[in-house]
Amino acid sequence: MTPGVDASLLEGLRAITGDAGLISDPTRLLSYECDGLALLQQRPACVVLPRTTDECARAVALLHRAGVPIVGRGAGTGLSGGATPVAGGAIVGLARMRDIVALDVENRTARVQAGLVNVDLSFAAEQHGLFYAPDPSSQHACTIGGNIGENSGGPHCFKYGSTNRHVLGLVIVRHDGSVLDLSRAHLDPLGYDLVGLFVGSEGMFGIATEIVVQLMPIQPVVETVLAIFKDLDGACDSVSDVIAAGHEPVALEILDRLTIEAVEASVFAAGYPRDAEAVLLIECEGSEAEVAASLDEILAVVRRRGAIDVRRARNASERKKLWAGRKGAFGAMGRIAPDLYVADVVVPRTKLRELVLGSTRIAHEHGLKLSNVFHAGDGNLHPNISYDRRDPAEVKRVLAAGDEIMELVVKAGGSLTGEHGVGLEKQAAMTQVFDESSLRAMCSVRDAWDPERRMNPGKLIPVHACREMRGALRPKA
Amino acid sequence: MEPNALVDYVKSLDCIHCGLCLRTCPTYQLTGAEPSSPRGRIYLMRAVAENKLDASDPHYREELDFCLVCRHCESVCPAGVRFGEMMETARAGANRAAPRGALERLARWFGFGVVLPSRFWLSLSISALRLAQRTGLMRLAATFAGARKEALLSMPTAPPASERRALPERTPARGAQRGEVALLEGCVMPELFGRVNRASAAVLAEIGYSCRTAKDHVCCGALHAHNGELEGARALARTTIESYERLGDAPIVVNSAGCGAHMRAYATLLEDDSAWRERSKRFSARVVDFSEFVAAQAPADWRPRAAPELGKLTYDDPCHLCHGQQIRSQPRTLLERVSGAQCVELANAESCCGSAGIYSLLRPRDSQAVFEPKARAFVASGADTLVTANPGCHLQWESGLARLGVKARVVHIAEVLAPRESDAPSGGVR
Repeated sequence: MTPGVDASLLEGLRAITGDAGLISDPTRLLSYECDGLALLQQRPACVVLPRTTDECARAVALLHRAGVPIVGRGAGTGLSGGATPVAGGAIVGLARMRDIVALDVENRTARVQAGLVNVDLSFAAEQHGLFYAPDPSSQHACTIGGNIGENSGGPHCFKYGSTNRHVLGLVIVRHDGSVLDLSRAHLDPLGYDLVGLFVGSEGMFGIATEIVVQLMPIQPVVETVLAIFKDLDGACDSVSDVIAAGHEPVALEILDRLTIEAVEASVFAAGYPRDAEAVLLIECEGSEAEVAASLDEILAVVRRRGAIDVRRARNASERKKLWAGRKGAFGAMGRIAPDLYVADVVVPRTKLRELVLGSTRIAHEHGLKLSNVFHAGDGNLHPNISYDRRDPAEVKRVLAAGDEIMELVVKAGGSLTGEHGVGLEKQAAMTQVFDESSLRAMCSVRDAWDPERRMNPGKLIPVHACREMRGALRPKA
Repeated sequence: MEPNALVDYVKSLDCIHCGLCLRTCPTYQLTGAEPSSPRGRIYLMRAVAENKLDASDPHYREELDFCLVCRHCESVCPAGVRFGEMMETARAGANRAAPRGALERLARWFGFGVVLPSRFWLSLSISALRLAQRTGLMRLAATFAGARKEALLSMPTAPPASERRALPERTPARGAQRGEVALLEGCVMPELFGRVNRASAAVLAEIGYSCRTAKDHVCCGALHAHNGELEGARALARTTIESYERLGDAPIVVNSAGCGAHMRAYATLLEDDSAWRERSKRFSARVVDFSEFVAAQAPADWRPRAAPELGKLTYDDPCHLCHGQQIRSQPRTLLERVSGAQCVELANAESCCGSAGIYSLLRPRDSQAVFEPKARAFVASGADTLVTANPGCHLQWESGLARLGVKARVVHIAEVLAPRESDAPSGGVR
């Protein structure tokens, strides 16, 4: 326990959140050691689980006065270590704040508490013909608040854009426990777009406790097609061609053979053929005529690129099954090895094929097993490396391969992260993409929000990258 | 260092920490706390295996005890983690690492070791319970019971002796016999739900099956296993197998979801016992759920008639039927075949009602908290009758709805399907 978290602080926190809202015994704290990136673990000194913005604010104020570092956490499903605790610090978990405060059907907006599970918003909106568009694969577990932190995406963000396109307002508990209400209705950002700035700030600007989002109308016709390929190249090239031809499907997703095998062995078996080298999931929506026309053209492209079969989902339940398989892919890889490293690079869509090949080659050079499942339409690759974290030598090779893949992609004009955030995992690689002055600009913004740098410290900005950076980033005296 | 054998280390490695289980977990729903989730519990088990955590740790024990073992997490786990089996091993391990207090050990010995496996003690206990409930002795005792007050008051209502009739050794088929089955009579079923057993036999007879019961058999050991009493569970598994081997090789029809799921897993329970491995596999292959059997075997033109007093029906999936045995469509198909019945879907039918075997007695407060959203869903469904397929759920729904002042009937699906001229379902209006 750090000097910061002592018995009197714990008593103070307990007085705010009640017994059920405070975890401080070492046993139960163990389970908070990591988020979805189980490779990196740190032991927090306490976990606070507030139920309201007010409780959250009072707890953060107490922690702030005690000088305790704070890591915000939703469901802990992030894959970049964004919610990895700070040793001896506090976690402020939003998992008990999961109410839908208001659903405004006419204006197609919802006000929710940050701990609401993503899919629960769409379930609630469905009866009104609406849905919440960002749909990370973890949407049955991850929270809207966590999505704000990481600016999460998902298959349907190809058409609809990532989380930042859907957030209209925020209530934020700041580093010192003061509450910043940016949730009043204004149709366009007025003045500085603080909400826009906050989305994707990985918990370093404060903790969002209430969120106003826009909802989208469910389209009259939705068609989902599974195209089956004898090789991964054909699937990649199809995607490049479809986009080059100016088509706008809602989603374009590729799964390779290893992923197909894992999914088909799981409860989410979707009927992907096990002997295919790759499948491409295509979804189109709109009016009946629009869907029919664009799907015909897309399927022509796909066949030209070597699809040996295309299967249309015949009804909503078949469609749901196709998607459940895709979204369960990460977890299904637990059948291959105890751990999975999920890279999250974004590549120019014209270079899909060569960069998929390149990352596969890198993994093989390190003697690692790589599978591919990715948001092809966005060029958002997820080269997945199966490993066992109990083997330190293998872990080293995984991290080295991850770095090399990021390097390869950045050289080809791509980016480090599509939707998982930088967190701890990609922090060092930030210097590949940003020069010193850009990083310094980021630090200035961060200092404006949190001058003491105690909100999710040590994430995103590469403090250890090099000497110069360390000097440039030292807090102002 | 060798992995600690008090948990199932190998199975714990299947968990890739994706978190897809969180939303389905009733205790995570209640608390929002990671250690009260399947992923968190597996993390703690793995810590025990890797000698980072002592299996005698009270917080660890508490998180294991808090779990209802509903196995909802297994239905959404893409990695195929066998959480139920892991919990049984971990509970047994925790019991070994830190023996429970003397009084609790005595109670567990009496309950698991004496009462459950004995028809005499079961019958005596339920008679005593009925006496205590009828005379007001129970309420009196509860006022002196301190922390145990809620546990006493949440005991199931013991039915009158007229309902506690055992099944005959053989129930003939009506009309031409199409086959023969064995029907599991169960431990508490004949004491608390004799009418359900008789309705089950009547339905089987109606669709052309004669059924036999193993009169020397009492308990399958499911409650033992779920509570980490694995040695007791293995002993009962062996006697169960022997009893039903004596009845030949006919299918064993089970109308209690928890028992069915457990009996289907005997092969895993006895996998280290070479003398019983093959026998347990053969036995488990004979086990079939009541709805599963009737849905598959009933003649195409079989249309049971609805009992008008039941009104609108809604079906609640027992966890160990939907998550434990993947049986979801069969009960619904059967209800749709009932002529004159109106069925509505229950929201979140696959989430736990909080009964969880003896959990409702051991942790009445948690059990009731888990039940509350179920009751809300039932009221929202507009149904008059709740249909279940497991005695624990049956009791939980009866007592839970009564406590919340919701007027409704609770029946086993066999009671809905049973021919009308036999025992009318008597799930009391409350």
